[in-house]
Amino acid sequence: MHIVKQLMAIPGVIAAGEYAYRGDRFTSEGALTDEFARMASILCRGNTLSVNMQAEIFDSFAENCGCRPVQGWITRGKRVTVCVVSNYFCFIENRDELLNDVMAIMRAKVGDISDDLLVNLYAKIGGDVNEALY
Amino acid sequence: MDLTKLMDLPGAMAAFMYTDKGELQAHTIREGNEITPQVLGLLTRTCVANQAIAAMEASGWEEVTGQTGFQPLQGFSVVGLEWSVVMNGNCGVIAKNRDVDYEATFSALQAI
Repeated sequence: MHIVKQLMAIPGVIAAGEYAYRGDRFTSEGALTDEFARMASILCRGNTLSVNMQAEIFDSFAENCGCRPVQGWITRGKRVTVCVVSNYFCFIENRDELLNDVMAIMRAKVGDISDDLLVNLYAKIGGDVNEALY
Repeated sequence: MDLTKLMDLPGAMAAFMYTDKGELQAHTIREGNEITPQVLGLLTRTCVANQAIAAMEASGWEEVTGQTGFQPLQGFSVVGLEWSVVMNGNCGVIAKNRDVDYEATFSALQAI
């Protein structure tokens, strides 16, 4: 089953989708309009590039310290949490065990990419993998 | 704050506190891992920056979409290859991905 459909089948998942690193493509299911999904896609792209940049700096201080490549990030709000792994995002309610379950599924399905994450994902959408990404 | 309590969280490799400007104030690192005080010193800067950006995004998102529940920010986490750093306020925990309990870690940091 596609990961977005798998996530949407879990009670408490508000929306899930996929975004492109170029920021020009997105798909989503759930409680987001096309415009909100577009905004979410841009937000996810920005944060992902930012944390990847941070991880590269950590790596220059302590090579192979275990942070790079970054798999994703989580923003925890009062009632809603946004989870991002690879180029997939998921908006969930703050319910018991839901965050751990969603992260386990996302990391198993699309995480743990051992090579350069950004180059991998950029290649998937047909971009120039040698182009500077940020 | 007793950092040793944070070190009891599943998978915890290090726990730390930092100032509002991101200066490392106190830390505990479990022996036998690659985390160094130098890495923590840089990490705490990013903790402040990431939380500021996330709070801005939560505020903007609620304002533009009319959706609620994103504010107040109750933490941010960066999921690395082998470990995750989970932060809230002026404290953070680094935990191994294979053992980390994100909910318990966010809750522990929220309770501080």
